[in-house]
Amino acid sequence: MSNSIIRVEGLVKRYRKGAEPALDGFDLRVDAGEFLGLLGPNGAGKTTLISILTGVMRATAGSVAINGIDLFAEPGWVHRIIGLVPQEPALYESLSAWENLAFFGALQGLDGGAVQSRGGELLERAGLSARAHDQVKEWSGGMKRRLNLMVALLHQPAILFLDEPTVGIDVQSRSAIWDLLQEIHAAGTTIVYTSHHLEEAERLCSRVVIMDHGRFVGEVADPRALTGHERLEEAFLRITGKALRD
Amino acid sequence: MLQRLRAHITKELLLLLRDRAGLALLFLMPLALVMIMAVVQDAPFRDFSEHRIKVLLLDHDGGPVGNRLRDRLDSSSFIVTDARGLSSEAFRDAVRRGDQQVGIIVPRDASAALESRSMLAIMELIPMAPLDSISQRSPADSTAITLLIDPTVKHAFRQLVQASVSAIINELSAERLLEVMRTNLESATGNSMPRIAMGDPFIAVRQEIAAGELIGVGVAQDSTQHNVPAWTVFAMFFTVVLLGGNLVKERQSGCMVRLLTMPGATAERIASRIMAYLLVCLLQAILMGIVGRWVLPMLGLPPLWIAGPHMLALLLMISGVVALAATSFGVLVGALSRSQQQSAVLGSTCVVILSAIGGIWVPLYIMPAGMQAVGRLSPLHWSMEAYNAVLLRGGGISDLLPLFLPLVLFAAVCIGLAIVSERIASSR
Repeated sequence: MSNSIIRVEGLVKRYRKGAEPALDGFDLRVDAGEFLGLLGPNGAGKTTLISILTGVMRATAGSVAINGIDLFAEPGWVHRIIGLVPQEPALYESLSAWENLAFFGALQGLDGGAVQSRGGELLERAGLSARAHDQVKEWSGGMKRRLNLMVALLHQPAILFLDEPTVGIDVQSRSAIWDLLQEIHAAGTTIVYTSHHLEEAERLCSRVVIMDHGRFVGEVADPRALTGHERLEEAFLRITGKALRD
Repeated sequence: MLQRLRAHITKELLLLLRDRAGLALLFLMPLALVMIMAVVQDAPFRDFSEHRIKVLLLDHDGGPVGNRLRDRLDSSSFIVTDARGLSSEAFRDAVRRGDQQVGIIVPRDASAALESRSMLAIMELIPMAPLDSISQRSPADSTAITLLIDPTVKHAFRQLVQASVSAIINELSAERLLEVMRTNLESATGNSMPRIAMGDPFIAVRQEIAAGELIGVGVAQDSTQHNVPAWTVFAMFFTVVLLGGNLVKERQSGCMVRLLTMPGATAERIASRIMAYLLVCLLQAILMGIVGRWVLPMLGLPPLWIAGPHMLALLLMISGVVALAATSFGVLVGALSRSQQQSAVLGSTCVVILSAIGGIWVPLYIMPAGMQAVGRLSPLHWSMEAYNAVLLRGGGISDLLPLFLPLVLFAAVCIGLAIVSERIASSR
């Protein structure tokens, strides 16, 4: 447990208007180098958890330590070592890819040279170099999603949080994102990832945590090793039930 | 931190440069407004001496009273047309239709009445005055000069006509009194006495503009001096619409979520946004100054009076403080709005109302007392006061500091509320 890069204890999040807590005493440990999948039905609390772990939202109660540092006490320090890929592309559409990278890179403390070299590599890797000077609003959804990921990788974060990064994109863009995630995971980045695509989680994640009603409800230690009678989907339905969720 | 501030400012300016509608809103709209409003308001702002009132004179008297009125009015702010030959109905119609702004009817016995009233007045002082010359005349107490006013003529112009005619009659009365007194004294003493000529008033009246040395003489509030600072203030505050809208757009696009996961405090993000729009506001002020100085005179308006580099520096300082208040207000509108439409409506409505009550459209001093009290609560009024303190009153830094205080406090309150609002939003 001393190797935990993320340690969450008793996390509670209660929205004012919500009758039930979105997170209800949630505990989690993530080891360095893990590729953790956070799965759960709609309203399970996945996005709320990611928002709290990245410092976007404050918790009602509980604690979060990132690399041993209290997130709520020292968010500035934590923000230097994490990257977030939000559900929807979080980009300035009137700016070009280069201008987006230059802006977000500068916020992470990268100088112009570092943005040029690292950004150039990432754009090349994502197949976006040819249109890197075009305004993002002229791009396709898949291109925006890839750039969305590149922005989060620009400062080479130790922990990368992804909130359903492949929703609504074409097969080629999804495949490119999968390849890239496997690459950066192999390079040592810890990844925490939410998705509804169980096949995707099965293929990418080294461990899957299943949550429901804001609570930890189950875990699959190595989904990539699942074979035979119970695949991840069956395990998921067994744990969360077949009742419809809205 | 400086690197982050620079990045935010560059980003904001790039976003603005690529927003053509926004640029038009920030630069073309105020330039058009200042030109249109300055031309429209030119006549009301001009001195009465520059505006000649059309007077139709119906002189039934044909004596000194009618003649004096015609000569004096024609040589001052009036264009006098003789109504001789016009019927009473035609005369009245000419004024009612607005062909003439004022009609003056001098009654048949006006000069005779003046003469007899003068004699009577002297007789009360000098009892030995001859009565025979008076008794033959009829001092009609009811004799009156009638002023007929076009219903559309403003109250101030009516007052001017009334005052001018009264002054002429008073002058004539004084002359007659002196003349009667002279002739009575001549007959009482048997000595010949010279006539006393009524020239200029015994005590001269001199008009000066109460302002410091900076602005020289002769500068009073005219259409340019009012409209250029007024629409500069309006333009700066109108950045609220764009600034607030961009803030909401940033939240809705998810960029704010990404920003919250990056180094940099909320105050830093707000400060950088304010700095970017401060530059925009200063550019607006410079452009409006250029229009006031060189473009408005091409439209026949007086040029914006800037008395040298010292005044220019003070005006730039005022623009900086006004811009701080305006951009801070924009940040608050953005923080409180939940959609771009909400931000646009809230921002533009607030600015239009605050400008209307704050003396942007028309100066505060001509509003009713109640509105003046309300208008003094508007930050746009404080901004106008600061510009007027330098442009019209020739004030210096010591005069400006008390005027800056409410603007800076307003900015501080707006920024504080915006930070609190963002923190509350992230804690939800």
